[in-house]
Amino acid sequence: MKRSIFAAAALLSAGIASAHHSAAPFDFTKFVTIEGIVKQFKVENPHTYAVVTVTDAKGTRDVEYEGHSASNFYRAGFTRDSVRPGDKIAILIAPRKDGGDGGFINSFTVNGVTVGFGGLSPSTGKPDASGAATSSAPKQP
Amino acid sequence: MGVADGENSSEVGGNSMTKKSLVALGLVLAALITQWSAAEEQEPPDFTGVWTMYLAPGESPFAAFGRGAPALPLTREGQQRRDEYQKLLGPEVANPAAYCVDYGMPSMMEQAGAYPIEFIQKPDQLTIIYEVEGEMRRVYMGERHVPREKRLPTRQGYSEGRWDGDVLVVETTDLTDGVDQMQHPHSDQARIVERFSLGADDKGTKIISYEMSMTDPVYYREPVTAQRKWAPLNGFIIPYRCPDEFWLALLDMRREQLKAGKPVTVRMSDVYKAREAKE
Repeated sequence: MKRSIFAAAALLSAGIASAHHSAAPFDFTKFVTIEGIVKQFKVENPHTYAVVTVTDAKGTRDVEYEGHSASNFYRAGFTRDSVRPGDKIAILIAPRKDGGDGGFINSFTVNGVTVGFGGLSPSTGKPDASGAATSSAPKQP
Repeated sequence: MGVADGENSSEVGGNSMTKKSLVALGLVLAALITQWSAAEEQEPPDFTGVWTMYLAPGESPFAAFGRGAPALPLTREGQQRRDEYQKLLGPEVANPAAYCVDYGMPSMMEQAGAYPIEFIQKPDQLTIIYEVEGEMRRVYMGERHVPREKRLPTRQGYSEGRWDGDVLVVETTDLTDGVDQMQHPHSDQARIVERFSLGADDKGTKIISYEMSMTDPVYYREPVTAQRKWAPLNGFIIPYRCPDEFWLALLDMRREQLKAGKPVTVRMSDVYKAREAKE
């Protein structure tokens, strides 16, 4: 009897696009929106990297974020140089599990234009399971 | 004209040999045209193009990956190989692509992450490029083959293709022993057979139907199979390769030394240390 080779690995595929330095630190069970001023915004492969100046109760500081791949964001409508240093930005992130600064970028809004996936996975259209690459992440529905 | 007999020979100068030659030439031409027409009818399917995962309406991409099927039929050695690999991933739970390393076979053909795949077909070679890491396979066809003693084992293996009617059958061997992106182990004895065929769905959209079967006497008790379908992508392959990050970081650190008027002494190990300190 032949069996499917894809069975046990399906959950792992969602993390591939976003696991540059592993998606393990992020909590994909909840998404939060952060706001700040763009210091650096690189939509690149294997995943996006941003530095945003954030001001909140903890004070003002530069925070690093990671996110989905350039391939995904470009196909979702991102256009080159549309996010520049100094832009005000709102980012939908999966926050860090340890509660520290940073998170995994799922969507972002600059100048009224939103690019991304609204908390959904770009590969499945279902709740983002980038954390499925980790043993403690929630299973896909 | 080409079928005139001897009685008509005098009408064109009385040279019967010339007439016969013309007849023969005509017959040869007719035969060639017939052959050419037949060859044209038998032109193999052309897979050239950029393709993306095909999903029937309402179909889940994970269902297309065989979700829900029984566990892989690993041998004891295969299970040990996989168990060790999972331990090696550690708490980071990274994977090859996390370090800009390509997937390897058979993951590459599973379109993991739902990125597009490109086929460039010539009579003697099918080139397959997966968007992630620009991972590439060359399938040698026709008379063009790499001699066994000249094949370098790789994570993608060595592939030869042949036509079985309208179906392209590709056999892959010469894999390195390892574990691919989706944690499928394979030994250097593994053999993968793929079948590609071109068709269309109800709406006339071109569809590539794909089947894969991997046999590995070391790590699997029985063959494992996979299926996939692709449809044309209305778009382009996006450059993905990303191995330059640490090299550029090395140059940046050396640039700082240059600016400071210091000797250029930074090494890659210093880049790693700097990253580690940052994390």
